[in-house]
Amino acid sequence: MPSKRIFDRIDSIQLRGVTKKYEGRFAINDLTLDIEGGEMLILIGPSGSGKTTTLRMINRLIEPDSGTIHINGQDIIELEQVSLRRNIGYVIQNIGLFPHMTIAENIGLVAKLEGWDKEKISERVKYLLDFVSLPSEMFMNRYPHQLSGGQQQRVGLARALVMDPPLLLMDEPFGALDPILRKQLQEEFCIIREKLGKTIIFVTHDIEEAFKLADRIGIMDDAKLVQIGTAEELIFHPANDMVASIVDTGKKFKHLDTLRIRDLMTPLDNKYVHAASLAVDEAIDSMLAKDIELAVVSNGNEPVGIVRLPDLMRLGETSDTIGDHAVSVPSFASDELLEPSLKDLHEKGHSIAFVTDNGRISGFLFPNDVFRQLV
Amino acid sequence: MVTIETILGHTGEHLVLLLTTLFVSICISLPLAFASLYSKRVGYVIMKFANLAQAVPSFAVVAIVVPLIGIGFYPALIAILLRALLPIIKNTYIGLSTVNASMLDYADGIGLNKWQILRYIRLPNAYPAIFAGIKFASILINSIAILTAYIGSGGLGELIFDGLVGFNNEKILAGAIPAILIALTLDVIFTAMEKKLVPDYRK
Repeated sequence: MPSKRIFDRIDSIQLRGVTKKYEGRFAINDLTLDIEGGEMLILIGPSGSGKTTTLRMINRLIEPDSGTIHINGQDIIELEQVSLRRNIGYVIQNIGLFPHMTIAENIGLVAKLEGWDKEKISERVKYLLDFVSLPSEMFMNRYPHQLSGGQQQRVGLARALVMDPPLLLMDEPFGALDPILRKQLQEEFCIIREKLGKTIIFVTHDIEEAFKLADRIGIMDDAKLVQIGTAEELIFHPANDMVASIVDTGKKFKHLDTLRIRDLMTPLDNKYVHAASLAVDEAIDSMLAKDIELAVVSNGNEPVGIVRLPDLMRLGETSDTIGDHAVSVPSFASDELLEPSLKDLHEKGHSIAFVTDNGRISGFLFPNDVFRQLV
Repeated sequence: MVTIETILGHTGEHLVLLLTTLFVSICISLPLAFASLYSKRVGYVIMKFANLAQAVPSFAVVAIVVPLIGIGFYPALIAILLRALLPIIKNTYIGLSTVNASMLDYADGIGLNKWQILRYIRLPNAYPAIFAGIKFASILINSIAILTAYIGSGGLGELIFDGLVGFNNEKILAGAIPAILIALTLDVIFTAMEKKLVPDYRK
């Protein structure tokens, strides 16, 4: 009996005041959480902090004592449990492959229960195995024990995707793997994720994994959501010491690959900005008065380049404007990733760059300064 | 002098009793084992009873049915049944219930209902244990079916007991050798069936 397709895509998941107690102890305490469609939210925290409980409430493996969970505005308590679960992909740590079924049977089980015909199932299984980089003709008829841990994990993902669910719940999917394999799978998963375009809620205890994969990270402790935000928000504005210790702000450098330009740019002070039409000698006076070595030459709101005080003074008597002598510098949007921008600057030998927000200059990026801040 | 016809006749009787009892005990044991899985109460009662029946010496079980239901084929069948239920129930129950918890949890999480979990997960995982239980029960039945000759079930036991009473070695062997051969054959058949029906998913 095919179950209803409840949602084709996720617009929102809302948890409101969700509470769950076990023997008087809170597993989840008054949790309110909004998950956006298409995002990858990673929940992280010490064991017993409630992250897995939160995940398992979304497919109703655990029912809350109070509070509500809505998916696309629909209260999940009103949905049929089996249909809800078949609309949600589920991947767990110990993989849970069924040892008595071949890889193809494992992946195709739910499709079979949904009444798909054999050919359609086999086609889907082949597609998914290839999708997770396991040659289908080689793996379809093997049993799980014949596969390595990493291969089993890939099958676990393929199996969760069989009904093409718009939502994936992943409970420490890489937790049982050795570190090198885990890194490798994380990287592959990054790529796969782009192709999938699904909403993913992911539980881990590995902050590096969270930084690498997440759009947003929710930090849980003692049955509560302590803070939720992007990697940079957590690194630069931790809500408390516990968050700070988890994201380990003492080691910002380690997380260079997650930083964006705005995190380490030098905000622009208006005193630097000079109109392109300003005469060179007037500009020299102004810069001396403001005690600045460097000025941003702008044409209206648009930055054209920079001028440096020593260069201007070397010009001597001239009727030129500073616009004529402006040196153009690279410009980056503030939300670009820091690391590639720094590389770019380094390669071209620039020691300064503009940072822009919607075309308007909002700051400078000094590679050397950035480096100092990081170490 | 024991004729070949006598031996075949008794062997036939023995086999009929054996196979009928085996069939009936499977028919009773499997549903009881399934029931035990879903109700702890029922499971407790069934296990207690089956364990008790197992604790009573075989010969005593055979004897005790006489004052209750008399002698003959059916009393013999019931006496044997009491002993044969336990291995099947116990093994089936253990096979069905000792499925990896995270696997069951996962099956639940991807939307299998109770019956689907039983059909696709629990049962295939229990096949080896169920087979072992049936195999053991059949061998148990074979040996008790010798004893039930005392209460008029006929079969190979009749030859053996006659032989023992009359110090007739020929008769004893005419009963004992087929009984041994049957035991060996049962073992071979069930092992082969198990190999055929249970996929080789373990090393």
